[in-house]
Amino acid sequence: MSKLEEKSSAPKFRDEMAFRGFSLVVLLLLVIFCIVPFVLMLSVSLSSETSLGQYGYRFWPTEVSFAAYEYLWAKRLTIGRCYLLTIITTVVGTVGNLVLTSLFAYPLSRKDFKQRNIFAFIVFFTVMFNGGLTSTYIIWTRFFHIKNTIWALILPGGLMSAMNVLMVRNYYSANIPYSIIEAAGLDGASDMRVFTTIVIPLSKPVLATIGLFAAIGYWNNWTNGLYYITDTSLYTIQVYLKRLMDNIAYLKSSNNVVESAALALRSMPTESARMAIAIVAIIPILLVYPFIQKQLVKGMVVGGVKG
Amino acid sequence: MADIGASREVVRENPYDDLLRQRKKSKKKARIKRLIPLYMMMLPGLIYLVCNNYLPLFGILFAFKKIDFSVGIFKSPWCGFDNFEFLFKTKDAWIMIRNTLGYNIAWLILGTIIAVFIALLMNEIASMPVAKAIQPIICFPSMISAVILSYLVYAFLSNNNGFINTVLLDGNGINWYASPQYWPIILTIVHFWQVSGQSSIIYMASIGGIDKGLYEAAKIDGAGRLKQIRYITLPLIKSMVILMTLMSIGKIFNSDFGLFYQVTLNQGMLISTTQTIDTYVYRALMEMNNIGMSSAASVFQAVLGFLLVLISNAVVSAVDSESALF
Repeated sequence: MSKLEEKSSAPKFRDEMAFRGFSLVVLLLLVIFCIVPFVLMLSVSLSSETSLGQYGYRFWPTEVSFAAYEYLWAKRLTIGRCYLLTIITTVVGTVGNLVLTSLFAYPLSRKDFKQRNIFAFIVFFTVMFNGGLTSTYIIWTRFFHIKNTIWALILPGGLMSAMNVLMVRNYYSANIPYSIIEAAGLDGASDMRVFTTIVIPLSKPVLATIGLFAAIGYWNNWTNGLYYITDTSLYTIQVYLKRLMDNIAYLKSSNNVVESAALALRSMPTESARMAIAIVAIIPILLVYPFIQKQLVKGMVVGGVKG
Repeated sequence: MADIGASREVVRENPYDDLLRQRKKSKKKARIKRLIPLYMMMLPGLIYLVCNNYLPLFGILFAFKKIDFSVGIFKSPWCGFDNFEFLFKTKDAWIMIRNTLGYNIAWLILGTIIAVFIALLMNEIASMPVAKAIQPIICFPSMISAVILSYLVYAFLSNNNGFINTVLLDGNGINWYASPQYWPIILTIVHFWQVSGQSSIIYMASIGGIDKGLYEAAKIDGAGRLKQIRYITLPLIKSMVILMTLMSIGKIFNSDFGLFYQVTLNQGMLISTTQTIDTYVYRALMEMNNIGMSSAASVFQAVLGFLLVLISNAVVSAVDSESALF
C-alpha cells in the first residue's frame, strides 16, 4: 500500500521539485542582477584613480585604494554640511508629515462628524487633478518666495500626501472603536486629549509605516533642490551629487574648452570619490531598510484606500 | 384657586415650548462648539493643501496667458488657446506624446508579465527560508533616488571608463550618452531593475491568499504544477491584474521624471527617444524660460490624466465595484 502510494506520488514530487529548482535559479539570478550595480559602484570607489583610467570600471578593484574615502574625509566640511542639511530636512519633514497627516485623518474617521466626506473629497481631489509643475513652481517661488530657503526643501510636495491621509483614516475607522472615543468624551476628555492618549497609541503601526516612507522620500528627494535651490550652501546630499554629475556631463561634452575643462576636472572629486559619495548617500537607507521592508509589504497589501 | 390653576397651565405650556426651542438651539450651538476642536485639528493640513495643491490650480490660467515679464506673470494679457496652438505646431509635441505613451504602454504590458512571473516564482519557494532573504533584496532598488540611479547607470555606460565600454566592448565602445537609438532598451532595463521586485509584491499577496485546499484537490486529481498555475493561480489573480492595469492606465500621460531626465544625464542628444511630457514641462520652464509652452503642456497632461482616471475608475467600478477608487 505504502509502496504504491510512493510510486504514484513520486513523479508529482519530482515535478514540484523541478519547479522549485527552476524558481530558485531564476530568482537567484534576479538577486544578482539587483546587487551587481552596487558591487560595481563599491569596487570603483575602492579603486585607485590610475587603475580606473587604465582598466576602466571593474567589479573587482585592480588596484585597491582608499584615496576616495580619504578625499571624503578631507572634504568633510562640504559633504558634512550637505549631510546635515539632508538629515534636518528629513527629520523636520517626517515629523511635519506625521503631525499633519495623523491630525487631518482623525476628524475624517469620526462618525459623528457630518462633514467628513466633504473634507475627504477635498483631499482626494488632489490625487486626481493637480496644477502641474509649472504653476506649482510659480506659486511657490513668486507667491511664497521660498526659492533658496530651507523651506524649499521641506514644503513643496512631501509634507502631506492624500493617499496617506486616506490610509490613516481607514486605519483609525477600522481599529479604534467609536465607543471608546464616545466614552472618553462622556468622561470629559477633550478631542485633543482623546487623540493624543487613545488614538495615537492605538495607531502606531500605520504611523510607523507612513513615517518611514516619508523619511525615505525626504532623504531621496532631489527635485525640490533642482527646482528651487541654486545656493550651494543649501545643497542636500542628493542635490550635491546631482550637481557633481552635471559638471562631469557638461565638461565631457564640451571638447573645445579642453584646458579649462581639465582645470575644472582637477578641482573636482575623482571618479572613485564620486562613487564613494554616492555610497555614503545610500548607507542611511540601507540602515533603515530592514525596518521598512516589512511595512513595505504590509503597506502595499493594506493600502486599500477609498475616497 | 381655579384661576391660578388655569394661569399655571398656560404658564406651564409656554416655558416648555420655549425650553424645547432653547434646548434645540443650545444643542446646535453645543454641537458646533463641540466640532471646533475637530476643525482645528484639520486646519494645518487644510492650509497645506491650499498652498500646495489648490493655489496651483489657479496656475492653470497661466496656460491661457501671453506671459510678458515686463508686466509680471499675474498681469500678462490673455491669449486664449494660442499657447496650445504653438505647442502642437512644434515637433516637440509629437515626440513627447509619442515617447510618453510608447514607454507607458510597453512597460505596462511588460511590467505586468514580469511582476506576475516573479510572484509565481516567489510562491514556488515561499516555504523555503531563502525566500525571506530574496524578497528584500529584489525590492531594494526601489528605495534609491534617481540621482544614485544615474550614478549606477553611469558606472556601466560612461564613455571612457564605463564597464560596458572598457571591459565588455574592449575599448572600441559606443558613445552611449550621444546615441539615442539605444535608450529605449537602456531605460527599459533600468526601469525594471528598479521596480520589478516591488511591483510583484501585490501579486505575491494575492497568490498567497488563494485557498491551499484548491491545490491539494488539484494534486489529488493528478494536475501537475504547471496545470495548477494555469487553471488555479492565474484565473484567481485575473481580477487583480485587471485592476492594476486599469489603475496604471489612469497614469499613462505621466512619466518618471527622474528616470527620463537624470538617468539620461539631461543630454540634449538623447531627446528624440527620452523626451516625455514631464521632461518637456521642466525644460520649457527652466531651460527655455518659456512659461506659456510649459504650462500648456502641463495642463494638457493634467486634463487628459484626469479624464483617464475618471474613465478607468468607471471601468473598474463596472468590473469590480469593491476595488473602485471612488
